[in-house]
Amino acid sequence: MATLASSSSSLLLSSPPSKLAQASLPPSLRLSFSSYSHLSSLVSISPSSFLACPASSRRSSVSAFTVKASAAEKKKVLIVNTNSGGHAVIGFYLAKELLGSGHEVTIMTVGDENSDKMKKPPFNRFNEIVSAGGKTVWGDPAEVGNVVGGVTFDVVLDNNGKNLDAVRPVADWAKSSGVKQFLFISSAGIYKPADEPPHVEGDVVKPDAGHVQVEKYISENFSNWASFRPQYMIGSGNNKDCEEWFFDRIVRKRPVPIPGSGMQFTNIAHVRDLSSMLTLAVENPEAASSNIFNLVSDRAVTLDGMAKLCAQAAGLPVEIVHYDPKAAGIDAKKAFPFRNMHFYAEPRAAKDILGWRSTTNLPEDLKERFEEYVKIGRDKKAMQFEIDDKILESLKVPIPV
Amino acid sequence: MIDPDANKACNLGLCPIKRTRYNEARSVLEDVLYGRIPGSEDGGTRKRAEELLLELESKQPPPHLSDLLGLNLFDEFVNGLEEMVRYRRKVLQPKVGLQVTASSEKNILIMGGTRFIGVFLSRLLVKEGHQVTLFTRGKAPIAQQLPGESDEEFAEFSSKILHLKGDRKDYDFVKSSLSAKGFDVVYDINGREADEVEPILDALPNLEQFIYCSSAGVYLKSDLLPHCETDAVDPKSRHKGKLNTESVLESKGVNWTSLRPVYIYGPLNYNPVEEWFFHRLKAGRPIPIPGSGIQVTQLGHVKDLARAFVQVLGNEKASRQVFNISGEKYVTFDGLARACAKAAGFPEPELVHYNPKEFDFGKKKAFPFRDQHFFASVEKAKHVLGWKPEFDLVEGLADSYNLDFGRGTYRKEADFSTDDMILGKKLVLQA
Repeated sequence: MATLASSSSSLLLSSPPSKLAQASLPPSLRLSFSSYSHLSSLVSISPSSFLACPASSRRSSVSAFTVKASAAEKKKVLIVNTNSGGHAVIGFYLAKELLGSGHEVTIMTVGDENSDKMKKPPFNRFNEIVSAGGKTVWGDPAEVGNVVGGVTFDVVLDNNGKNLDAVRPVADWAKSSGVKQFLFISSAGIYKPADEPPHVEGDVVKPDAGHVQVEKYISENFSNWASFRPQYMIGSGNNKDCEEWFFDRIVRKRPVPIPGSGMQFTNIAHVRDLSSMLTLAVENPEAASSNIFNLVSDRAVTLDGMAKLCAQAAGLPVEIVHYDPKAAGIDAKKAFPFRNMHFYAEPRAAKDILGWRSTTNLPEDLKERFEEYVKIGRDKKAMQFEIDDKILESLKVPIPV
Repeated sequence: MIDPDANKACNLGLCPIKRTRYNEARSVLEDVLYGRIPGSEDGGTRKRAEELLLELESKQPPPHLSDLLGLNLFDEFVNGLEEMVRYRRKVLQPKVGLQVTASSEKNILIMGGTRFIGVFLSRLLVKEGHQVTLFTRGKAPIAQQLPGESDEEFAEFSSKILHLKGDRKDYDFVKSSLSAKGFDVVYDINGREADEVEPILDALPNLEQFIYCSSAGVYLKSDLLPHCETDAVDPKSRHKGKLNTESVLESKGVNWTSLRPVYIYGPLNYNPVEEWFFHRLKAGRPIPIPGSGIQVTQLGHVKDLARAFVQVLGNEKASRQVFNISGEKYVTFDGLARACAKAAGFPEPELVHYNPKEFDFGKKKAFPFRDQHFFASVEKAKHVLGWKPEFDLVEGLADSYNLDFGRGTYRKEADFSTDDMILGKKLVLQA
């Protein structure tokens, strides 16, 4: 049996697996070992397409195998969730997935239950969390202990704070109440732009970024912590437009204005991928501990490519128009929902360490998204495209009537 | 190895090679400190590692050039750590997966082997104790001393390497000569068409493994990248011969393995990849780059590719499998120009972007890369084979420069005619 050297950082096999990876083991099995020598909860084994071999890396990747803990190892999980923005949907999906796996979940949304923000997705679908057996509460993260009614948890996931001011009270309370695992939704936006994509875990980050301060703080205060850096996501219940931005123009037969060359890469994942990675971390805490994970799909797509895929999903043609934001006199951040540069991270740590697999399939997933887009009647909604019109005018492209 | 002169000329804070070493050095010391390296349980060793870590921390890159004393101390420090890093790589990098037969001597035939990949691959195989024969027409010498290779090493290699002289397009000769000799394993490094494989397979019915050098060029162009081994391939691509070869191998029932490199680089590269940039940097010329310059491509060092070829030998996990082999990180066209400059010690180059559609370059290539995104994931090779590239881009380009172009050797004369056409027009594209 390969020896497992556990330390305050993550697991590493210090010698090549001799007896572990026997030829007699069917290559489709994947098993993982944590530093708990008895795996009483070992029940389900998930097949995969290939055996992972341990590789020496600074991430200290684990052995060949990963195990899904069964419901026997139930966790009490608190998700502190933002009340708006692109990350909001992550907590929603994760809550439902964890509940489906038999864990106890409380989701605490920042702010007031009666605020207007709660009328938007995913919050207007929180009944789905409740009917799955989860608890929903609202309040100020600075008062988290009171908001959750003095209950203690095994795992806390902060999917709210962008800086230490917002996260510190949650982290401090978690530590003092004996929370075993602290997880943080950070951002892949903290990576320093570089000539050599993709961003991989361990790459240089912007030292002043708020999320970076949070990651540092939790790494110093928890023996079991992990940080997840997402990019963009699609999925039902999303609080922020992603694919909709393209659909809005495509169904109205408007040109799609994309800044720059359109060759910039981005990473757009289905939120179920984010949820599955986080679930693996909850269920394999020793493996996940002291790691950074890029919370993204395993394919990048160009901005032009995304426009084309959205059009294909809609079964409609698309006219892409490129422009220089400066020349057009507009703020690209307001005009376009994605960064005007390569913004491309890969989920290598999750694959190496958690045995995670991406299931995002944009061509297929966007079809489903388009179906919902039409179902809710958004294709018929009256819309203004002021900024688009300004761009098109600057390019002397005819504006559709 | 890094040119020591380049070291001394480098500001620690500016030289990325040094920065890599810092990171590696810290990583190695932490491994010792946390008892991850066999033998590091010894308290004395751990203490020493702790001391070294503190020393390392204090030697973070200074903001200005003046710290010459510090540089010298650091050199010795780094040399000692480099030893440790090499040890760690050797110890912790798993050998060829599950295979049982890696150490047993094999009778190996390489189709080709005198030009680029095979030059490095044949040396690794001979060092591992295999009997290696090169099948070539004999146009180039079977063994040529590599830059940086000692006389002793070269003598050892050239005394062992064998030659089978012939034309691989002469299928009858291939079949008869191979069946007469009998080989355990064939590496096909220079095959282009499916027909070329048949006589080899016919000649060697008991062949243990056929290892093929294919190409990531077989992948169908896509908006979703990186290319993975399971992705759609393009039956109409320029590399369809490679694709057809893979299909034939699959259909014949032989134990085959196929490696798909992207752009290969390194000393002795006959494809002017890095050389194209070095010519312009040396001449102090601006670098003309088509389009936006943000096209993403990928380079893989020839030595890392050679190691991958060795790692699949006799490896059950490689049986009937395809693996992408290249660098772990990709790079933009603009970034590559900068990386070449960094690696070779040139100042940051002036980049000039142009619209290739506005020019007729005739038969000449104005830029050495396809004008599109093109890169492949090497995660399968990393996970399944435990292979990992040793060179990052700047390190690898430095290796190529220091052993080849930087010594005054190159394959193709500089030709700036297309550059001059572009610079003459001086059109600057929107980024």
